[in-house]
Amino acid sequence: MILARVDGHCTATIAHPSLKGQRIVLCTPIDEAGKASGSPFAAIDTLGAGRHSRVFITTDGSWTQGTVHDDSSPIRNQILGLIDDA
Amino acid sequence: MKPGRVIGTVTLSQAAPQFRGARWKMLGPMGPDELSGKNPDGCASGWSPVVLDQLGAGEGDVVLYVEGAEATQPFDHPIPLDAITVALLDRYEFDPID
Repeated sequence: MILARVDGHCTATIAHPSLKGQRIVLCTPIDEAGKASGSPFAAIDTLGAGRHSRVFITTDGSWTQGTVHDDSSPIRNQILGLIDDA
Repeated sequence: MKPGRVIGTVTLSQAAPQFRGARWKMLGPMGPDELSGKNPDGCASGWSPVVLDQLGAGEGDVVLYVEGAEATQPFDHPIPLDAITVALLDRYEFDPID
């Protein structure tokens, strides 16, 4: 799982159908000290992660396809956990 | 899903048969400075991926693209594809702490 921090969000009207209605957040991968350690990427968020909250993200495409109920969806990043303390 | 900015179009003279009718865009990678507006029209360092585009992205558009096996998911036939655009961003906000 990727440890990341939610640093932004984005909207897309024209997108793959499976992204319709999904909240897309922009995240920065962070290390154990919370320092940015990688280039930002996008993920779908069903848990309502707030700004600058720490999350962990799966890259398992098949699980995410189940979430969006579309087994031809190319998405793979999804927030699966909001971190209280690490 | 990574953000990228369309910096060009790629047309092929010869291509694998599965790519008939495909449109390819060249993307500049986007890092924290490009997303947060410190370097608004630039590209981050790193290689520029060539991405199959089915959404009609134009020059300068910011898109989300997916790499790897997930890029072949939307197709119902085997295709030697590695990267595809999945979203054309209307608006994006990004303000990292550090």
